[in-house]
Amino acid sequence: MAAPPRDLVTATLRFGQNLRRAGLPRTVSELMDAVRALEVVDLLDRHEVYLALRTCLVSRVEETPAFDRCFDAFWKFHADDGQGLEGLTSPMPDHQADEHAAEAPAGGEQKHESVALEGWEEESADDGEPLEVPGKSEREVLMDRDFSTFPAEDLDEVARLTILIAKRLARRVSRRRRPTRRGGVIDLRRSMRANMMKGEIIDLRRRERRRRKVKLVLVCDVSGSMDLYSRFLLQFLYALQNVFGRVETFTFATRLTRVTEQLKGHSYQMALRRLADVRDFSGGTRIGESLQEFNRAWRALVDRRTIVILLSDGWDTGEPEVLANEMLMLRRRAGRVIWLNPLLGNPSYEPLTRGMAAALPLVDHFAAAHNLASLRDLAGHLTLR
Amino acid sequence: MRAEIRKIQEMMEGADYVTDAAIATSVHLGMTLKKPLLIEGHAGVGKTEVAKVMARMLETNLIRLQCYEGLDAAQALYEWNYPKQLLHIKLEEGTDHSLKQKEAAIFSEPFLIKRPLLQAITQDGRPPVLLIDEVDRSDEEFEAFLLEVLSDFQVTIPEIGTIVATQPPYVILTSNRNRELSDALRRRALYQWMDFPGFDKEVRIVMRKVPGVNERLAREISRFMETLRTLRLAKVPGVAETLDWAQALSSLHADHLDEELVTETLGCVLKDADDVRRFKRELQTTGLKRFVPVEGS
Repeated sequence: MAAPPRDLVTATLRFGQNLRRAGLPRTVSELMDAVRALEVVDLLDRHEVYLALRTCLVSRVEETPAFDRCFDAFWKFHADDGQGLEGLTSPMPDHQADEHAAEAPAGGEQKHESVALEGWEEESADDGEPLEVPGKSEREVLMDRDFSTFPAEDLDEVARLTILIAKRLARRVSRRRRPTRRGGVIDLRRSMRANMMKGEIIDLRRRERRRRKVKLVLVCDVSGSMDLYSRFLLQFLYALQNVFGRVETFTFATRLTRVTEQLKGHSYQMALRRLADVRDFSGGTRIGESLQEFNRAWRALVDRRTIVILLSDGWDTGEPEVLANEMLMLRRRAGRVIWLNPLLGNPSYEPLTRGMAAALPLVDHFAAAHNLASLRDLAGHLTLR
Repeated sequence: MRAEIRKIQEMMEGADYVTDAAIATSVHLGMTLKKPLLIEGHAGVGKTEVAKVMARMLETNLIRLQCYEGLDAAQALYEWNYPKQLLHIKLEEGTDHSLKQKEAAIFSEPFLIKRPLLQAITQDGRPPVLLIDEVDRSDEEFEAFLLEVLSDFQVTIPEIGTIVATQPPYVILTSNRNRELSDALRRRALYQWMDFPGFDKEVRIVMRKVPGVNERLAREISRFMETLRTLRLAKVPGVAETLDWAQALSSLHADHLDEELVTETLGCVLKDADDVRRFKRELQTTGLKRFVPVEGS
């Protein structure tokens, strides 16, 4: 009953191409496994074929909706021919899919671009150049200047400084991982070897104790009220993500989005483009609800060795009670919770917004994030409780 | 449905494991394609149970490697038996064996402690089921190491040489998603997401596992759990909690749910103080009927 393997192979490889277009790139060896799987299931049973292909070609549950769409098309194509599974011998019409694939990214990009992100894409186009540190006095000026007042021509410098600062922070965190020297653990294996002729363990060999790792979770407000700052803070998040390994990054306005994957990669432009696709454009800020979502879905990312950094101005249109509740949940799990507020740079600012007032007692460290100097000063606070 | 898959499903049901076509298919593929099967899902949905049932089904050994942060090769693969080596050196004192001979003696198989991965590779007889439980709890470095072992099922011990698996074990990996697993590991394994069971499946599980529960109670319990899981809870109860609860209710000779009974036995289901508070508030405002709608009968 099974179709000849050669045709199964062809059909499966084409299915693989469609999956790739749908954003699920699979390796040839995975596709070959799928072929072998098809050989041991009932090819007339749609559900069974579906389960077999899903087991081989889906590798995380989030991919299931995209996979299901591809499978529907795949099955429809082979079954609607009126030949049932004999259709596995005919090729897929790939010109249609090709056109579709070429259109989609271009269109999507245009639609989604926001003002703040757009600006950055042009202005830091010379990404490939080596980092340069500007002269001292000039640099001091930049360090203390409020982000919201930068003229466009300085933005490049700011971007570079941001990356430098992120690198320094990362180094600092990784240095702190090392515990005070306690002599390390005894390495029995090497001790045995070293003392074989002595008949007794005299000369103990030690190895360094496992280093405790600190993780960072960054949650950044990208709502309208933060627009003047979020372009800088996003740059900062990008830099941190790429110089420091264990970082998880989220953005929110009214809902929470995990952007860790989007921020990975060598090009900031590419990262911005990917970010634009997932950005939350609705007005208003719901910090409480976003944190609630974080605590519900991503709680497992936070433990005693995690520093959580929230970047927000605290303008919350949701219930302050929800925010306080979620902050408490977060604080109970995390090693340290830091709230960075760009408005704090203004001497006359007092954290009186309802949200801020509710959250403040539950924060380990509350600091400004309105200029480069404030980001730099963060270093001293990246320690666990 | 292919006969082999139906048979697996029947055998799993026979081993007291209520299952569905998706899981039976992935187990079938794992066995025939000889590939590790990665099962992801919430805590307490019965991921680990798949491996146990598989071992029972195949009448073979289950070798379990429980992962935790800091797990390393010495704990997972092998270690030398140092006290025994020391004793041996003591006993050898005064003999005229050369250093080379002594070394060969204490670094030979009798002095080797086989940890789960090595056990799984060197097992005689039928290939065992190797359960690598909660792989998301191990470090990234360990994951990379695991990948190496799983790809060629051979282990090199410097003092002895390379040990190649006589027959590769059936491998089940489970993850609660505390950490994202690497793409490399995902590519190497078949994948199955295990969700909380639907209402009907949960009723079947309760009836099968807790014989003292009648059908009405089983349906009420399952409906209750289904609704409970839609609340935003910090710790969503799994099937394990359902069964604990059913067991408790059964030993109280309950035949249906009422508010008092639920409040008294809540500790079986909700394990977080905030969740208990939230649930009690719901119960006060909407009553039990929200959780257990009266079924028309």
